[in-house]
Amino acid sequence: MSLLVIAEHDNAALKAVTLNTVAAAQKIGGEIHVLVAGSGCAAVAAAAAKIAGVSKVKLADAAHYADQTAENLAALVQANAAGYSHILAAATGGGKNLLPRVAALLDVAQISEITAVESPDTFVRPTYAGNAMATVKSADAVKVITVRSTGFDPVAAEGGSAAVEAVAAAADLGLAKMTGREITKSARPELGAAKVIVSGGRGMGSGENYHKLLEPLADKLNAALGASRAAVDAGFVPNDYQVGQTGKIVAPQLYFAIGISGAIQHLAGMKDSKVIVAINKDEDAPIFQVADYGLVADLFQAVPELIAELG
Amino acid sequence: MSAYTPPLKDMQFVLRELAGIDKVAQLPGYEDASPDLVDSILEEAGKFAGGVLAPLNWSGDQEGASWKDKAVTMPAGFKAAYTQFAEAGWNGLSCDAAYGGQGLPKLVSAAVQEMWKASNMAFSLCPLLTLGAIEALHLSGSDQQKSTYLPNMIAGKWTGTMNLTEPQAGSDLAAIRSRAVPQGDGTYKIFGQKIFITYGDHDMAENIVHLVLARTPNAPEGVKGISLFVVPKFLVNADGSLGARNDAYCVSIEHKLGIHASPTCVMAFGDNGGAIGTMVGQENAGLKYMFIMMNAARFAVGLEGVALSERAYQHALAYAKERIQGRDIAGSAASVAIVHHPDIRRMLMQMKSLNEAMRALAYTVAAAHDAAARHPDEAERKRNQAYVDLMIPVVKGWLTETSNELTYLGVQIHGGMGFVEETGAAQHQRDARITTIYEGTTGIQANDLIGRKIAREGGATIKAVIGLMRQTEAELAQQPGAEFAVIKTALGKGITAVSEAADYIVANYGNDIRAVSVGAVPFLKLLGIVAGGWQMARAALVAQAKIAANDKDPFYPAKIATTRFYADHVLSTAAGLAHAVVHGGAGGMALDVAMF
Amino acid sequence: MKILVPVKRVVDYNVKVRVKADGTGVDLANVKMSMNPFDEIAIEEAVRLREAGIAKEVIAVSCGVAACQETLRTAMAIGADRSILVESDVDLQPLAVAKLIKAVAAKEQPQIVIFGKQAIDDDANQTGQMFAALMGWPQATFASKVVVSGDTASVTREIDGGAETLEFKLPMVITTDLRLNEPRYATLPNIMKAKKKQLDVLKPADLGVDVTPRLTTLKVSEPPKRGAGIKVADVKDLVAKLKNEAKVI
Ligand SMILES: Cc1cc2nc3c(=O)[nH]c(=O)nc-3n(C[C@H](O)[C@H](O)[C@H](O)COP(=O)(O)OP(=O)(O)OC[C@H]3O[C@@H](n4cnc5c(N)ncnc54)[C@H](O)[C@@H]3O)c2cc1C
Ligand SMILES: Cc1cc2nc3c(=O)[nH]c(=O)nc-3n(C[C@H](O)[C@H](O)[C@H](O)COP(=O)(O)OP(=O)(O)OC[C@H]3O[C@@H](n4cnc5c(N)ncnc54)[C@H](O)[C@@H]3O)c2cc1C
Repeated sequence: MSLLVIAEHDNAALKAVTLNTVAAAQKIGGEIHVLVAGSGCAAVAAAAAKIAGVSKVKLADAAHYADQTAENLAALVQANAAGYSHILAAATGGGKNLLPRVAALLDVAQISEITAVESPDTFVRPTYAGNAMATVKSADAVKVITVRSTGFDPVAAEGGSAAVEAVAAAADLGLAKMTGREITKSARPELGAAKVIVSGGRGMGSGENYHKLLEPLADKLNAALGASRAAVDAGFVPNDYQVGQTGKIVAPQLYFAIGISGAIQHLAGMKDSKVIVAINKDEDAPIFQVADYGLVADLFQAVPELIAELG
Repeated sequence: MSAYTPPLKDMQFVLRELAGIDKVAQLPGYEDASPDLVDSILEEAGKFAGGVLAPLNWSGDQEGASWKDKAVTMPAGFKAAYTQFAEAGWNGLSCDAAYGGQGLPKLVSAAVQEMWKASNMAFSLCPLLTLGAIEALHLSGSDQQKSTYLPNMIAGKWTGTMNLTEPQAGSDLAAIRSRAVPQGDGTYKIFGQKIFITYGDHDMAENIVHLVLARTPNAPEGVKGISLFVVPKFLVNADGSLGARNDAYCVSIEHKLGIHASPTCVMAFGDNGGAIGTMVGQENAGLKYMFIMMNAARFAVGLEGVALSERAYQHALAYAKERIQGRDIAGSAASVAIVHHPDIRRMLMQMKSLNEAMRALAYTVAAAHDAAARHPDEAERKRNQAYVDLMIPVVKGWLTETSNELTYLGVQIHGGMGFVEETGAAQHQRDARITTIYEGTTGIQANDLIGRKIAREGGATIKAVIGLMRQTEAELAQQPGAEFAVIKTALGKGITAVSEAADYIVANYGNDIRAVSVGAVPFLKLLGIVAGGWQMARAALVAQAKIAANDKDPFYPAKIATTRFYADHVLSTAAGLAHAVVHGGAGGMALDVAMF
Repeated sequence: MKILVPVKRVVDYNVKVRVKADGTGVDLANVKMSMNPFDEIAIEEAVRLREAGIAKEVIAVSCGVAACQETLRTAMAIGADRSILVESDVDLQPLAVAKLIKAVAAKEQPQIVIFGKQAIDDDANQTGQMFAALMGWPQATFASKVVVSGDTASVTREIDGGAETLEFKLPMVITTDLRLNEPRYATLPNIMKAKKKQLDVLKPADLGVDVTPRLTTLKVSEPPKRGAGIKVADVKDLVAKLKNEAKVI
């Protein structure tokens, strides 16, 4: 049995999520090949060849793969699908755009965002915004799967030595033409959309402290900044920072509550966060009842340490 | 701040199973109102209420309407919301299709209005008053007046007001002193001051159409000398465009306990030479027209009662599920949400059961109103009209009085947080407070009920209604189970209480009107409680039939349990009220005024 | 030009779904159902294109049980001109729906088909892409801006960490992201008109499509609950746990 993993990259570098996808492929079992399709992406193929557990890298290098448009890529994958029992990609914007198209071309179902592998044909995936985990079994000959990276520990980026084999590019379908791409870099993410949020409460003591301590931390984590109402009322930060019942409701992957006691009105706005970290000097603060990781400490010491530790 | 989710399920249940939307849809002219269309209307109205109006409820309360230089500025967001409301065509839902309305039944309008009122009571008063003015013009206006005003008012481009009250003329409109002087060209100049005029001025629409009660020169004294005039803020040119600013100005607004976003205006007519208006209908018939319209207005205010109680209930329920405090009274390892405490449960059930009873009563009266207006059979029209006339003061008086009790419970469930304005629970209580006052106080409703609606006709209509209630009681007797036994007994005792009190009123109104009138409000409440219980019992019977037909919807067992609660906690008070009616007159009037 | 908009009836987004105790699925009895929010955005976009004079007709299509008619009425109340229900009691999976829509498209010949990017029940995020593949059309997924001129469309797509703009030749598929537009509230006259608009009902067999499911759901379970939190010893410990245990940084 062989599996094909579609590499995620930007022509220059391999994206780390590919390592989680390979990990999922390993769970399924079999010989793992990686397809690198792009333009001037030999370095990516070289990196893919080093991934632990990968036995072959197929490289399709052509100008019309530079923009990773789904139409051209899907045709290429279809042309190279023969012999594979599974085709996998990361459940990123790119993978989700591409794989359903591949599946339809192969006349098979696609299995979205798996978080666990039960057997080569049975997988676990979240539905209803993660409120119900479905275990699904595929009856198709080829399983086309996107992989949620948080479900699988990445394999080692080094240690393998797969051969890189060039494959022929498929024809340019000319269905889509890129006219612009904008990657937002420096600006801090919005509260509502952020994957990580750093919130400060009255414990920050002043607006000056809030900015001096929390901004560098947020920069390190590419996080949005939030606050408790007490911090807003005290004038540390503007209104639109407020998280809670009467502020914004957020559910990031990671939420830091720093100097926040954890009043129910505040909890109402953040209790659905995936991981909650609380830093508070009062070990009985209610925030610790919902925090996955609680650190009882003076924030004026702990936050600078944390920034340093994050490197 | 609180969210509002229209109770669509209960609304639809009442519309279908108790008020008979399918029968209403068979009335001439209402054929469009098929149950599935009504479902879509409720669904979409609910989205608008929850999405656009509800978010402005709290901010509108905090900011309030403001007044400067004889003009009112509405709180942030109201103008945009109103424009959206009007453009979506909601204003014309029940209005005549000939002038651009959708001509839907009162019954549909009742459910939709409940949503506007619950989501944002202060906002809802603007379309409410406009609707009142539309109805007055539609009923008594000339063709010229109708074509000038109705299309724009129905489209919501112009709003309307009702200018009745004056400083010396509140409950007693006979004391009105505003003057109307004929100009010889068919127009009149209006002079006088009106107070408490809801939405007398605002910045949400391009024109405001004031309907004003005033006296012509040489008009007879008292109620028989009052005429109705239409006085626009901006005069309307022959081509329909807006002309000169009329001499009708808002000279101040009141600072109130509630409905802060609804401007309550002192209106000065004619301070600068006279406000130009035209007479609506016949001279000296103004109050008669007002009385015809009054049913609609009083019904609408009654709906405010159930609407605010529903909002308060949703608010309190959400808090009760979230607030952790104390252990379960029967023991628990950890602290529990307060919804587990029996006393909180009792309060929530009190709110829930009364809300459902009030809604059922109001909507069934709305359906009777539709039948009274459109039924092809004259006798049916008459029968329904008599029922509507009897129940209007009850819908107005009982629903609004009850909402004051229920919004109070809403605050109580919140504990200290309820007393804190920011929680928002107090707003519902403050907003509810006006509902028992305007459009005729509860006292005035109760006088109307016992006098004109019962004593004057020797109790004929109420006896017929009691007969219908007894039929429901008989059906209850045939149901199995302890719950139905409780409901049957409680309803039976309640009906007996109403019957005895009504007999007392009919027998004594003529010879001891003072003593009987002491019991007017208790009787109004008694009739409300029992009529509400009657509708709850009908609901329980429907639920029972659904369960018997193997419907697994948990809504139905909940309906029966809620009815049972109502029987034990609400219907059980009927006997006490009947006692107050029958025996309480003497005590009420025993002290001489000088002895107070 | 015609625009086809597939719409799905799903559990209302305000409803917190509960997994059935026997693990056979989520409890959908007596739960409020609504139009998939992404599909509402799709209808809104299509109606805007018609209002701008770019499209002539907007047709809503739903595949599923008879009650999907309500969803189609909602679509018509927002402004779709007419609608088609492909009625089936089978659990229709994305590939089957894509094939059904393809058969409908063969009849209707739309130039643009606008899908929601995903349905909030199965969260598959597949149907639009699959349909595009079956038709051999370009796909502008996760659209946040659409400009149609003549026989081309320029679409801005949301991608990880930013946005990209591409040009496509019609006919094409668009799938909507949340930021594309804010759907309007239906007006009362339109709600009433929607009742009278044409709604055709077809069966998968009429369209010659085999809708047999390819995936079988073996069980449905609750997601793992938030484990009782722990106190960490110090900052080093915290960072290590976030990296290795929670894997969030
Ligand atoms: C109707 C209503 C709505 C509300 N809505 C919201 C809302 O939307 N959002 C919201 O947040 N609140 C809301 N509140 C307010 C809420 O009840 C709390 O008052 C508020 O969340 C408290 O903020 P805090 O935790 O920052 O302050 P505090 O409760 O004062 O907590 C400060 C914490 O900082 C810790 N601390 C102090 N110094 C240090 C230090 N040097 N190192 C480490 N820890 C330290 C303390 O131990 C304490 O736990 C609402 C209240 C009401 C009445
Ligand atoms: C916020 C607000 C908005 C309003 N909007 C409008 C509006 O848009 N247009 C308009 O014209 N008016 C409006 N009103 C006026 C409202 O209708 C009157 O306030 C109401 O009719 C009561 O009149 P009153 O205030 O003069 O009280 P009064 O008539 O002085 O009543 C005082 C008390 O005496 C009792 N009472 C009076 N007469 C009797 C009687 N015969 N038998 C038994 N009890 C009696 C009443 O029940 C009450 O308890 C509004 C009032 C308010 C406060």
